[in-house]
Amino acid sequence: MATLVNPNLIDQVKQSDAFNAAACMNCGICTAVCPMGIEHLPRELFRYVLLGLEEDLLAHRDAVYSCLLCRLCEVNCPAEVHIAGNVRTLRHYLNQAVFHVKRMPRARKATTG
Amino acid sequence: MSQRRIGVYVCQCGGNISDYVDVERVASQAADNADVVIARTAMFTCSDATQADIAEDIRQHQLDGLVVASCSPKLHTLTFRGVAERAGLNPYQYTQVNLREQCSWAHTDDRKGATDKAVTLVEAGIGRTRLTEPLNPLVVDTMPKALVIGAGITGMRAAVGLADLGMEVYLVEKQATVGGWLKSMDTMYPAGKTPKEIIDQLDEQIHQRSNVTVFTEAEVVQKGGTFGNYVVKVALHRPTEQTISLNVGSIIVATGFDVYQPEIGQYGYGIDGVLTLPEFQDFLKTNPGPMVYHGRPVRTVSYIYCVGSREGREQPNAHTYCSRYCCTSTVHTALEVFKHDPGVHQYHLYRDVRTYGKYELLYSESREKGSLYLKFAADQPPAVERTGDQLKVTVNDLLTSRKELAIPSDLVVLVTGIIPRENDALVHALKLPVGKDGFYNEIHPKLRPVETVVDGVYIAGACQNPKTAGESAASALAAVTQSASILKKGKVQLDPQVAFIDASECTGCGACLKVCPYEAISAQSGDNGQSAYVVSEAICKGCGGCVPECPVEAIRVQGYTNAEIRAMIDGLLMEEVEQI
Repeated sequence: MATLVNPNLIDQVKQSDAFNAAACMNCGICTAVCPMGIEHLPRELFRYVLLGLEEDLLAHRDAVYSCLLCRLCEVNCPAEVHIAGNVRTLRHYLNQAVFHVKRMPRARKATTG
Repeated sequence: MSQRRIGVYVCQCGGNISDYVDVERVASQAADNADVVIARTAMFTCSDATQADIAEDIRQHQLDGLVVASCSPKLHTLTFRGVAERAGLNPYQYTQVNLREQCSWAHTDDRKGATDKAVTLVEAGIGRTRLTEPLNPLVVDTMPKALVIGAGITGMRAAVGLADLGMEVYLVEKQATVGGWLKSMDTMYPAGKTPKEIIDQLDEQIHQRSNVTVFTEAEVVQKGGTFGNYVVKVALHRPTEQTISLNVGSIIVATGFDVYQPEIGQYGYGIDGVLTLPEFQDFLKTNPGPMVYHGRPVRTVSYIYCVGSREGREQPNAHTYCSRYCCTSTVHTALEVFKHDPGVHQYHLYRDVRTYGKYELLYSESREKGSLYLKFAADQPPAVERTGDQLKVTVNDLLTSRKELAIPSDLVVLVTGIIPRENDALVHALKLPVGKDGFYNEIHPKLRPVETVVDGVYIAGACQNPKTAGESAASALAAVTQSASILKKGKVQLDPQVAFIDASECTGCGACLKVCPYEAISAQSGDNGQSAYVVSEAICKGCGGCVPECPVEAIRVQGYTNAEIRAMIDGLLMEEVEQI
């Protein structure tokens, strides 16, 4: 059974913050250099978002949260995709839409500074 | 005949020949012929120094025949004909013998065998040279007028170019208006000019030039005459049916292309909402603002690439080539769609994206604006079906682990390619060379890209292969240059190695007539009232097809007479006999 493409997911993700993976050419350098060896991060994951395959995205949400945000993939990306930024945006989306996490209170932020 | 004075030069080709062939023995055995007055070897016969030596020998020894035994005649025949000519020897009394490809490279394991073969080949060359006669190039006058067939951007640009070089130009167009495909197209990359502006500009330039005559609703029906002075019959359909005759020195064919039309059912073609790329572009042009198709808003467009291009050989009449322009055209169209409505979702189902050169920027821009690209394998093409209100495109996306995806779409656009335009009547009238793919063929894709095997007939634009408007205009100007190179001088030189019929021996049987592919042979009544056939030297290409047909050996090709060929065979056989 074919998975249904859903154009609305990308629209929702984009609303939350800047998500841009359109320049990705699926070369796989990000996967090759990832120190965590996360197979699904980030190119396949971004494909799920772009195509609106929400179930696939949720099935691999561990990958989204396993990322170290080290940006090794980003500096090696030939298409200059802001991979780490996209991962943060995805986390934000999953926090809000799936886990219903509330925004951190501003006061908390002040104490950590 | 008094004894000939022949010079023989055996090339070492820097070891290419001399490593496997005993060139000294070849030269010395050549010298055994009484009429070979000089026989030498050289490290590189084609070098400037050796060419100068040969020229000096020709003058000093008053040579009347020259043999160079070196490489393929394709490489250096013209080189050594040039040496002969510079030294005052008729260039057609030169014979090239191929020792490199036919002896040394072919028989690296057999030095004696290669050398024996080289001796016989040189003997054959000497045998032919002994019988050569001086030939002089045929000079024909050229009419300073040109015919351009097809008034699209290619033909129009060619007409203006020829007119500016002072030629009289006839521009013949089948349709009622000039402009070809461009007049029906929307904006163009990169300047954003509309094609109509470009066509109007060219049309105005044509009208400003008094030496261009445009015939619309007209067709070329026949070509007669000879190279440099063709007589072309053109059927005019307006205002009344009539046929006119034009005398022209050159002809530029710019008849353009056709668009592939999918069969009903191919990728769902025929279902409401499944369009070809040109149909979609027409829809966009006539529907400004957010897209509404048959009353329904269009939020999602899926494109299927390579429809009618890059087809497998197993298909009957397959278009196996890449149409080259369609990726760019689709990407450009997708950007136009974003101008109508930036929120439209666009899915591009492609095999490979070939937006070469600066068009790559369009491809990047389309991705940045949100176009999504899904790659399908040639053996797993997407499927299109209608489910209720929407179309559904199913595809295995190679970029998403070959996952089978279903894309709900409001419109499906089939990216159709360029196909050759069928024009059998014109092909027949002009004897145009048609390639395997159905497009017209040039002589050489790089060195002679607009010339055809028919002298004075040039091809330009998309009748040759898929081209953009810019590339079509460039090829138009290439054809203009080639036309001008024969028309401006007022005369051209032709190869004298053509067929000749001895009228005293011709029995008038007409066997030769049937095989001539160039229609160079015609009947002429002789002095005694008996009809004989003659060859038009300006039309004949010297292919020799007629020679073996003649039952009485009345036909010979100058430079390749039966006597010369027999002498070559004798040369080859004589050495064989000696070896036994």
